[in-house]
Amino acid sequence: MKMDLEQLRKTAAEVAAREEVKYLVGWKQGTYGYRVAPAFVEDAAGAAELIFSPLCTANLATYLTLAEQLPVPRGGEPDDRKVALMVKGCDSRAVTQLLVEKGIERDEVVVIGCPCPGVVDAALLAEKYPETEEPAEMKWDGENFLLIRGGEETKIARNEILAEKCRLCRYPNPVVSDIMLGEEVETWDLAEDEGVQELENRDVDGRAEYWAEQFDKCVRCYSCRNVCPLCYCQDCILDRLNPTWVNRSVNFSENTAFNIARAFHLAGRCIECGECERVCPANIPLGKLNRKLAREVRDKYDFEPGVDPDAEPFQASFKPDDPEDFIL
Amino acid sequence: MSANFEPNVVAFLCNWCSYAGADLAGTSRVNYPSNIQIIRVMCSGRVNPLYVMNALQQGADGVLVSGCHPGDCHYMEGNFYARRRLGMLKDLMEFVGVDPKRFHMSWVSASEGHKWKEVVEKTVEDAKEAGPFEGFRRRQIDW
Ligand code: SF4
Ligand code: SF4
Ligand code: SF4
Repeated sequence: MKMDLEQLRKTAAEVAAREEVKYLVGWKQGTYGYRVAPAFVEDAAGAAELIFSPLCTANLATYLTLAEQLPVPRGGEPDDRKVALMVKGCDSRAVTQLLVEKGIERDEVVVIGCPCPGVVDAALLAEKYPETEEPAEMKWDGENFLLIRGGEETKIARNEILAEKCRLCRYPNPVVSDIMLGEEVETWDLAEDEGVQELENRDVDGRAEYWAEQFDKCVRCYSCRNVCPLCYCQDCILDRLNPTWVNRSVNFSENTAFNIARAFHLAGRCIECGECERVCPANIPLGKLNRKLAREVRDKYDFEPGVDPDAEPFQASFKPDDPEDFIL
Repeated sequence: MSANFEPNVVAFLCNWCSYAGADLAGTSRVNYPSNIQIIRVMCSGRVNPLYVMNALQQGADGVLVSGCHPGDCHYMEGNFYARRRLGMLKDLMEFVGVDPKRFHMSWVSASEGHKWKEVVEKTVEDAKEAGPFEGFRRRQIDW
């Protein structure tokens, strides 16, 4: 993989300098260990810090809708400059899905596509190669990852620490972009979704038991919602008090209702970037819920979110011949 | 399950077809199980999945959503949306371990008093089989 950092920084500096661009969102090295932080770049100095490495797991598309919309001062002009955004394959699907839902307009963003050979699962990495204070670098090296730390290079087999979402990724190349950095990567053989299959093979009580244990851990921090590029409702049901759609108390009953509601709201919208699961402090495998629903949507309704900007939103449309074998 | 367990079943019926169908069953003196608690909504497409969640949390052992036959919706297409969304919900609930016998959906028109009876019988029977819903029912906490 020849992702050329020089080229990336040069392009970023050029884009950030454009009159029509407010800022560019990319990745930069974090303060310690395997951390990578989002970078909001306005000039060439900022662009010089940008990186794109196997540690860039975060989906930056969430900053498109997370940015605070300040009121326009009286007599002032609204700032309608664009936001430039660096995206991997999965992130680009979030952008497409936002376009479908009219969460953003196409002329509000400059999309810089980064073909992605797969990122690492930082938790898994830290488990096998304990994190130190010193910021580490990482690179793609053919079928391996290269960990560079304290002047030392360690080769790590790709399959050892590849993130789960990447094992199942069907779109490593950005599906939407204005500028593409580097060459497209070749798609790889997909792993079986063992996590979901294993659950499907259990009987209903077995699944109830499994999820009871998981949902019981939820602390209702709503990180999963906040990080999600597609959870951007101004008036989220979880914040509503009147009517109270989801009770705020933290107990198994409410946690289950909340988790089902969250997963359901993402049905036909989730683009499987895995961010919700990554940030969950209770390590709840939210990805299994998302992927199960995504597969149902794909198999039964022949729909895939975040690939076609002209598609109709899944839950706000229907086909006359949608399956109805479950109806009495 | 004890043989004489009587389940609570909450039914969300659309105003224009299923509610009228249930009404017809009543005026035609059709006998059907009395375990069902009917809540009238304007359209099956109005049934938020959280209604279903809430019913289960608050003590229902089964939930039924019923609307007009496809093509008959008073609002033209509300039941098509309901079919898609609640179909997904059924899959999701099954995946998190809610017995699929607890959630049903049906099309019952205003003239189908007898179909209504069958639907209720099936729903109640299934809920009975599935037994009292303990899953994520809201529990009163004793301090
Ligand atoms: S991030 Fe995890 S713990 Fe926090 S609300 Fe979501 S599921 Fe619960
Ligand atoms: S639900 Fe999770 S995996 Fe899906 S788009 Fe949101 S953050 Fe990504
Ligand atoms: S949880 Fe539902 S209501 Fe809340 S932001 Fe996400 S999609 Fe919107």
